[in-house]
Amino acid sequence: MLAEQTRQEQIANDLANSSTPGYKSDRTSQRSFNQLLLSNSATGAAVGPLGTAVQVSEITTDFSPQPARETGDPLDFAIQGEGFFAVGTERGVRYTRNGQFTVGANGMLATAAGNPVLARGGQTVPVGPDGRVNPATLDIVLLQGPRKEGDSLVSGTPGGAGVPGQARAGALEGSGADPARAMVDMIASMRSFEAGQRVITTIDSTLEKAANRVGSISV
Amino acid sequence: MIEGLNSAAAGMVAQRQKMDAVANDLANTSTTGYKQVRVGFRDLAYSQAGKASELGVRTGAGAAAVDAGRRMTQGALQRTDRPLDVAVQGEGFLQVTLADGRPALTRDGALHLDGQGRLSTGLGGLVRPPLKLPPGTPESSIGIGPDGTVTAAGRVVGRLQLVSVRSPQLMQSLGDNAFAPTAQSGPVAAAPRNTVLTQGALEASNVDVAEAMVSMIEAQRAFELASKAIHTADQMMEIANGVKR
Repeated sequence: MLAEQTRQEQIANDLANSSTPGYKSDRTSQRSFNQLLLSNSATGAAVGPLGTAVQVSEITTDFSPQPARETGDPLDFAIQGEGFFAVGTERGVRYTRNGQFTVGANGMLATAAGNPVLARGGQTVPVGPDGRVNPATLDIVLLQGPRKEGDSLVSGTPGGAGVPGQARAGALEGSGADPARAMVDMIASMRSFEAGQRVITTIDSTLEKAANRVGSISV
Repeated sequence: MIEGLNSAAAGMVAQRQKMDAVANDLANTSTTGYKQVRVGFRDLAYSQAGKASELGVRTGAGAAAVDAGRRMTQGALQRTDRPLDVAVQGEGFLQVTLADGRPALTRDGALHLDGQGRLSTGLGGLVRPPLKLPPGTPESSIGIGPDGTVTAAGRVVGRLQLVSVRSPQLMQSLGDNAFAPTAQSGPVAAAPRNTVLTQGALEASNVDVAEAMVSMIEAQRAFELASKAIHTADQMMEIANGVKR
């Protein structure tokens, strides 16, 4: 039941971000706890393994590119293909696929949170007098081991095989959260949770019989 | 479970803010010089999941709406043939002094003459620097050139000065179609040379109604989805309560 709670939290987060541009959906993996080998205490013959519980082993993020949609806004950018935009933050360079940018305090391209977007070589990108930016100047970085940090930012080590995608202006990448899959997962998770509850109540009634009925003469 | 509830609730709040912005856009589809509001979303912090999770398993805390300024694209020009209507083409603003004395910038070029023959905007703000036309000048004899030169019956009276700021998105919205420069937007400077005024026309709102309607439906559906997560979390808590009958 506890593992299903974590899964439920992950699905709730996916659903809350169903319209966050460049959001990447998560997947909860569960595995069983280490199993015990039961054996007959009288004869020593093995009876079989006994699983004790389930736990969440990892939450993996699906970083595959999602389809972009046209917005017509000159400061919206989408990456076609793999890679991330580089963003300068107080904690160092971070990466994002949420290309909904704006003009920062010094006339430079910035994320909606105000962090500067970086060009190749780590410079900031000035917004032209017509309010546009050439998407080809933006740095697109491939990452090894990308990890979500919140605020649409991702941390990771630059590098990795493959060809970085190309940025396109006037479009935003859709959210990776698939509402249909999330709803199905949510229902499945809830039913597993319910099954866990049934197991507890069944064990409870078995114990109740063992405690109160054994040795009772009346039927 | 409680975390799941909060994540979903955060998503609902974000969608409601988006809906507020879209409603405002839709209300301003006929407002001269109105610029569409851009609302973005971001995900929130990720933290270690609860019991029955290995170390390093992290769940997110939902979504939040972010203000991404305004879409400063050009609105379509609407022909009015009124001599005192001007539309700004390109990046730039007209300077006005609002009724309460504050300086402001606007792209609403529906100008009027006040009782003393001074050029003013529809909401009573005076054009800055003040531009006074000779008494009794008929509106039809007023000419406004592409560079802002104002003439009355062929004689130059003054000039409407076009200005711009470095980051128009970061200006403060004062309502009444007016914006005030802030420290972030940078100081007021002369507009680029290719910004021109067109007499006898007004700049329409740059809100695309069809797009705004789609955004509204999207926001509503995303709101519903998040509410489903709350409903499910609620059901699961009910099931957990059922452990002890």
